[in-house]
Amino acid sequence: MNAPAEVDVVVIGGGATGAGVLRDLAMRGLRTALVERGDFASGTSGRYHGLLHSGARYVESDPLSARHCIAENAVLRRIAPATVEPTGGYFVATPDDPDEYLERFPVACATAGIEAEPMPLDELFRAEPLLNREIRAAYRVPDASLEPWELVEANLASAREHGAATHRYTAVIGFERSPDGSITAVRVRDERAGEERAIECRAVVSAAGAWAGKVAVLAGARLAMSPGKGSMLILNRRMTTAVVNRLAPPGDGDILVPVHTVCILGTTDIAVPDPDDVHVTRDEVDALLADGERLVPGIRHARVLRAYAGTRPLYDDPDHEGKHPDESREISRAHHVIDHGQRDGVGGFWSIVGGKLTTYRLMARDVADAVATSLGVDAPCRTADEPLPSPATGTPYWLGDRLAALEAEGGGDAELICECELVTRRRLTQALDERGDSSLDDLRRTTRLGMGPCQGAFCTPRAAAMVDARRPGTANLPLRGFLDERFRGTRPIAWGDQLTELWLAAGIFRGTLAVAGLADLSEAERATG
Amino acid sequence: MPRADVVVIGAGLAGLSCAAELAERGASVFLAAKGIATTHWTHGGLDVAAPPGASTHRAGLALLAALDGHPYHALGSDADAAIDGHLARAAAAGLVHSGGLDTPLLPIPTAIGSLRPASILPAAQAAAAEPWGADGLVLVGFGGYRDAWAAYAARNLAAAGAAWADGPASIRAVEVDLPGVDGLHNLAAQNLANRFDNPAWRDRALDAVARALPAGKIRIGMPPVLGLDRHAEVLADAERSLGGRIFEIPSLPPSVPGMRLFEALRRRILAAGGRIQVGFDVVSVERAAERVVAVHTEAASRTLRLAADAFVLATGGIAGVGFRALPDGTIDERVFGLPVTAPPHDRWFSDDPLEPHPLEAAGIEVDAELRPAGLSNVRVIGSALAGMHYLEQRCGDGVALASAHRAVRSLAGTKAAAA
Repeated sequence: MNAPAEVDVVVIGGGATGAGVLRDLAMRGLRTALVERGDFASGTSGRYHGLLHSGARYVESDPLSARHCIAENAVLRRIAPATVEPTGGYFVATPDDPDEYLERFPVACATAGIEAEPMPLDELFRAEPLLNREIRAAYRVPDASLEPWELVEANLASAREHGAATHRYTAVIGFERSPDGSITAVRVRDERAGEERAIECRAVVSAAGAWAGKVAVLAGARLAMSPGKGSMLILNRRMTTAVVNRLAPPGDGDILVPVHTVCILGTTDIAVPDPDDVHVTRDEVDALLADGERLVPGIRHARVLRAYAGTRPLYDDPDHEGKHPDESREISRAHHVIDHGQRDGVGGFWSIVGGKLTTYRLMARDVADAVATSLGVDAPCRTADEPLPSPATGTPYWLGDRLAALEAEGGGDAELICECELVTRRRLTQALDERGDSSLDDLRRTTRLGMGPCQGAFCTPRAAAMVDARRPGTANLPLRGFLDERFRGTRPIAWGDQLTELWLAAGIFRGTLAVAGLADLSEAERATG
Repeated sequence: MPRADVVVIGAGLAGLSCAAELAERGASVFLAAKGIATTHWTHGGLDVAAPPGASTHRAGLALLAALDGHPYHALGSDADAAIDGHLARAAAAGLVHSGGLDTPLLPIPTAIGSLRPASILPAAQAAAAEPWGADGLVLVGFGGYRDAWAAYAARNLAAAGAAWADGPASIRAVEVDLPGVDGLHNLAAQNLANRFDNPAWRDRALDAVARALPAGKIRIGMPPVLGLDRHAEVLADAERSLGGRIFEIPSLPPSVPGMRLFEALRRRILAAGGRIQVGFDVVSVERAAERVVAVHTEAASRTLRLAADAFVLATGGIAGVGFRALPDGTIDERVFGLPVTAPPHDRWFSDDPLEPHPLEAAGIEVDAELRPAGLSNVRVIGSALAGMHYLEQRCGDGVALASAHRAVRSLAGTKAAAA
């Protein structure tokens, strides 16, 4: 690691919030460094449904969060248009949804300042022919689809332009504190090299989301998080052109989000003691499909490519102690800035918790305001005005972007490493240049490698050979790791065509390529087994 | 309306082999298949029985035949005749193999540079399993062909150590730019194989390979591209102009070695008077008591009724889409609706994608004549049979051939295949 040994602020957590905090502070002229225990956007930010909220989802249950969402929805379209596909969204009342909510919804939207336009049903079914014909009412809202990996990467890139340092695979293992209790340094470990060191600092922002409770404990502070697991299914094509929400209080299987060439059906909400528990159960899959049927009849016969889960960073606000609901969904989605100096006597340590990916910038602003003030910096927040530097285009994303870029690159005949997601050799080479020491899963987050129907059956060995060419002798563990990772998400939904696809992959990797027979893998297994 | 003594459903190794043998014996055979089958997924060698620990297929057969419920438990005695018959049939169609049940299983290189056990190999792969002596190995990759990873494979093979103690004296990789494919990308093996069938292009391509090869006594590992229609001629030409033994290393599907096998058997069936229809699913079945009278397939503009005395189900398992699993964990056999024996839904998979999954052994239970319960004129063959782990035990081809042969013998006693 060639990181500075001393900065003003260390930001913990490389999701959207941490990246946003880093950018905000760096733009105010502070010297900053960000540490992330895994890859950037590999936690909750990279494991969500891809929705840019209008806020209409929360107009009744959480009006503050709703107002934050609609404000930030407009900001993100302005500062990061290429990460937003302006699909629009609908709230639809199925026969199972309560009448009284249908009546209150437009009023609540108006109160929150969210445009909710009644949609005539004949128009709705013309626009979205697969929707349930028993839908009784619909409103159009400014929901959209959002690409989280590009958004996080763009924030980090902007922060780096302003002098910030970013370190992935760098875990926080402890803190150094002065006699008065203030933080003086963050102790970190490079998870790949195994080296430990300290980064001296004047302040720390924990943007560790669902893991913020664990980080606080290391600093001698306390923070009661209530991680909520949300599971989602990826269907192999878009069922709708716009986001579709159930017109009901937030519940399971209540949203369908078109994302790139696929769509995401979400979301369950299960309180989990361990934020690392992102295991999707068969019961969750069944529940999602059963509820999805109410939006799109027959959806259970569609091809599901994969199941995955993320962990919501829900904060158990002590102000509400004594009336904790069992369902984690009822805990507020609005965010909280916690000054652990005031609260726990740990000076220079802040946590930013709760919130939504949609409101990451606002969360960042609020905590950055507090930190800057305490450090005597009066530069204002500029993140709402200055566009993010990448991706380069200033126009909104549309579905044809990748094919258009491919045609521009190779006259339609650029070499494809991943056919499903149109990832070219050039794109992967560029990703390897930028992030040389990446696993195949890291490259997936950057390029969408292996995210299509075959779930890596064809691109995995091709990409491994590229990694080997770059760093001879290092490709086998990444290859093996990617097979494990892709299998984990396929297994809960392995039936029908996707089970046959899994058997094809098994034939390739166990039959023809005999992966287990790779010399260093069998040695590694002997050593551990 | 077509009528046949026997309708075979499915065009994988089991169905093709069964139809070929029936036709050779004079039966009128109609082979109907939903589509191209798993021949196009495979490495093209013959996996008879190579479970961990087996030194020959013969030894592997003994190990597997001892397992209760394994297809070889009942079929093991048919293996010799089935393999002999298949190798003779393939050879007659121009696809010569080396090795047999008693030939030692030796480690041969895969496209990523691991090793897998093999002994019965088509001529184009045979050199991989011949004693290496002082020979060096040169792995060849092609510019623009993304499915050969010569440098990666060479590095892994060089690290194989004791697992390949009797391997080559040296290992290296070269990349060759083939003529006339400049600017072409995403070439599949069969695109190159088609080009190799053309003698003029072949000469130029082999020249380019020859220029890239080092001097010395070498054996050459090539992508699986040495021709389709004129494969034998291409292989002979290549060994002559490159001055060394060549073996193809199978890679990602679609498999050129598998295509050659499919073609060889297809030609045998047609030459023996059989009929083949590939591309149409069976959509309904006519029954009378415990017999199937006819099946209907989709056809160009209407369904086609195929009546026969006997029916052979060779539609494969989950991989071949003979079975279809539903979200609730039930598994449908798609043609006759036969009951499929499978592990409980919550035990379908192991945690490791490289370990055998219990679900792989799902299949149809049959009697010694390969009849499923309740249908007296149906025979079930190949991967639709219950009780095998075809990947772990490397036994899928042998079970396909042995069960096809058993079905032919069983039907020979009936009016079908009376010759």
